[in-house]
Amino acid sequence: MTDILRTTNLTKRFRKTVALDHLNMIVPEDSVFGLVGPNGAGKTTTIKILMNAWQPTEGNAEVLGRDSRKLSPQEFTQIGYVSENQQMPEWMTVEYFMEYLKPFYPDWDAARAQELLRQFELPPDRKIRNLSHGMRMKAALASSLAYRPRLIVLDEPFTGLDALVRDELIEGVLEGAEGATILISSHDLSEVESFASHIGYLDRGHLQFSEEMTSLVDRFREIEVTLANPLQSPISWPAAWLNTEQSAAVVRFVDTQFDQERTIAEVHRLLGNTHQISVNPMPLRAIFVTLAKAGRKAA
Amino acid sequence: MRQTLHIFKKDVRHLWFEIAIAITAVAAFTFTGARRALWLVDPVTNRTAAWTMVLILLPLAWWTLIARVIHDEALPGDRQFWITRPYSWKSLLGAKALFIFVFINLPMLLADVAIVRACALHPLGAELPGLLWSQVLLAIVFVLPIAALSALTAGFVQLIFAILMPCVIAVVVAIVAPEVVLGGFWNGTDWVRTYCLFLVIGVAGPAILVWQYSTRRTTAARISAVAAAILAVLGMTLIPWSVAFKIQSWFSKQRVEQPLARVDFDSGSKWLTRAVIEGNRVRIELPLNVSALPPDMSAKPEGFSVQLQTPDGTMWRADQALSGYASNMGQEFSLQITVDGAFYRKVKDEPMKVRGSLYLTVFGNPRSALIPFGDRSVLVPHVGVCAASQGANRQTYFLICSSGFRFPPRLVSYSFIQSAKETAQYAWTSPRSRSISYSPFPAEPGINPVSQDFALGSVHELFSEGRVDAVEAVAYIRRNFEIDNLRLSDFQISSAPASP
Repeated sequence: MTDILRTTNLTKRFRKTVALDHLNMIVPEDSVFGLVGPNGAGKTTTIKILMNAWQPTEGNAEVLGRDSRKLSPQEFTQIGYVSENQQMPEWMTVEYFMEYLKPFYPDWDAARAQELLRQFELPPDRKIRNLSHGMRMKAALASSLAYRPRLIVLDEPFTGLDALVRDELIEGVLEGAEGATILISSHDLSEVESFASHIGYLDRGHLQFSEEMTSLVDRFREIEVTLANPLQSPISWPAAWLNTEQSAAVVRFVDTQFDQERTIAEVHRLLGNTHQISVNPMPLRAIFVTLAKAGRKAA
Repeated sequence: MRQTLHIFKKDVRHLWFEIAIAITAVAAFTFTGARRALWLVDPVTNRTAAWTMVLILLPLAWWTLIARVIHDEALPGDRQFWITRPYSWKSLLGAKALFIFVFINLPMLLADVAIVRACALHPLGAELPGLLWSQVLLAIVFVLPIAALSALTAGFVQLIFAILMPCVIAVVVAIVAPEVVLGGFWNGTDWVRTYCLFLVIGVAGPAILVWQYSTRRTTAARISAVAAAILAVLGMTLIPWSVAFKIQSWFSKQRVEQPLARVDFDSGSKWLTRAVIEGNRVRIELPLNVSALPPDMSAKPEGFSVQLQTPDGTMWRADQALSGYASNMGQEFSLQITVDGAFYRKVKDEPMKVRGSLYLTVFGNPRSALIPFGDRSVLVPHVGVCAASQGANRQTYFLICSSGFRFPPRLVSYSFIQSAKETAQYAWTSPRSRSISYSPFPAEPGINPVSQDFALGSVHELFSEGRVDAVEAVAYIRRNFEIDNLRLSDFQISSAPASP
């Protein structure tokens, strides 16, 4: 896999507020990269810089191998961008919007555009200003898939959408983005966990981790240890153990570097004899909440 | 180019209503402007109210159109759909420029041709330079400022604010310190100051547009615009009028050598040598005489710089353009210097040396033309097309001259005579007291492509034709003068009447 997006020490400050702090992030080609994090984490800032809507304060970002500040129309013919708060040409009808965009893209596929309109059930003769929010997002997505872009960037695309429309959009993205790399940002992990291949977790301008979904799910485990004897003295918990809770007979924690043999050995080394060690896989949402809590405590 | 045309077609489709309004305004302008040609023969066709309304509506229609077309792909902001689409900034800027050309410049060009033709002038002949230059001025005065401001704003509200803010500042400054805003009027050389402003607009406007379209760095572009505005204001207010006159002198058509046009103190005109006390200030009036001009030439003082100095080194300097029109012409001229009362009291008994320079416009090449009453208009070379008519009561006479794109840099006087062969009886003969511009450019800023000047006579004499006399500004010269041993105490002293 080659890198289709890469940021190096990317920093963005708005006066005294640091929105991004030396962000180093790589989005491999052909991946579906979910950039998640709470509101205000810096997701939109990252995407705005990647799309050359904003200039970085420091560092740089590369998109399709080119400095984002120098993105030319040539690169934009290979990028599809959809944002929740994008301003659309309200006066255009859906059909004219697609017709208008067509000459901008050498690879525009008119049949595919028609198919997308049908798939999203978009009324061709309705003006964009008269579309619901969900319809607008569909129109924006259809207009970004019709030319088979190499890179699709979706900035909080599901905000304010009901579950049905969200599923339609996800389906549309996955069907329509064959062979494309997708960067999708969301503050709600459940929106992306079902289809993302990679996850980056951004919090207060810092990328907490960025890795393949399978490896992320594999390395997080919720562990509950029932002790044979109460603990006599306080213990210094390993850094990989988060959200450690301790009672007289039970210790619970989240191991962020789970490895069956190593973790069990570590438990026995620190806690002595145990009655039972229960190891539970974690859904992505639980991992996200754990990291968020740990991040808040650290702060 | 294909993308330019594609965006252009989209803009036409979107802004058809605004385009229709602008084209209608130009059509109304063409119709009323062409009708004005009829004034030449029938002044009662004057539709001043309609004409004034068109002159107000037309720029408003243009400005709305420019703002709307540029805001259709607004440059400030980060949420516009088009910024992540493969737009080439050159194509986008080209599309906007093409739109403005097609719906503002081109209709106006055609309207100018129609109006100028209706006035019996030749838009593609003698008036062609004026026609083309008026397009440049249209771009500088009406298009570039609003286009640049539109490129720096995201919408109409911001734009209105951007327009109103400097206007409010200018009004406040005009109230507090009117000289900063108005800076006095420099008569014929005032165009130098105006063209300073045009130069700033002509350079800064395109630079801001190109910068903003290519980089969309709005903050930097806005700072540049403010800097350009400050530069324009400084250029307008700080440029000395003597520099303007120096620039004007580059455009002299004839050399007037040093022995010609001498300036001396007219010691014989005692009654003109006065000191007028005006409260804490004293106006010193010195009669000067301009002599040694060739017989077919006359001179008009445009300004002076003067230095009054006593033997002990006490000094007063004055440097100013003169207000007043062609009626100041002649051989004699009263130099008026206002000095501080304390200075006057200190030096009035001292023998003073006065050194100064008088800046003169020399007029020559007199030309006359007779204009018979009736429907026929007569082409008067270097003036325009003139027509004379007689009112129904045969006691009212009109003489109207129309010129394309600017009034010529000539002093024109009008008169009515009984017959070309008989002894002339003038109903009205003094030079017109209109302000003329010595600008070397073939068009004046403004919308109206035809400048009209007229004389109205209402007398009981029977006249048979009108007459137009014109003299051309041929040279702009500076002449130094010196007066020795001048005692202000020898001047007639009078007090200015108190203000009511």
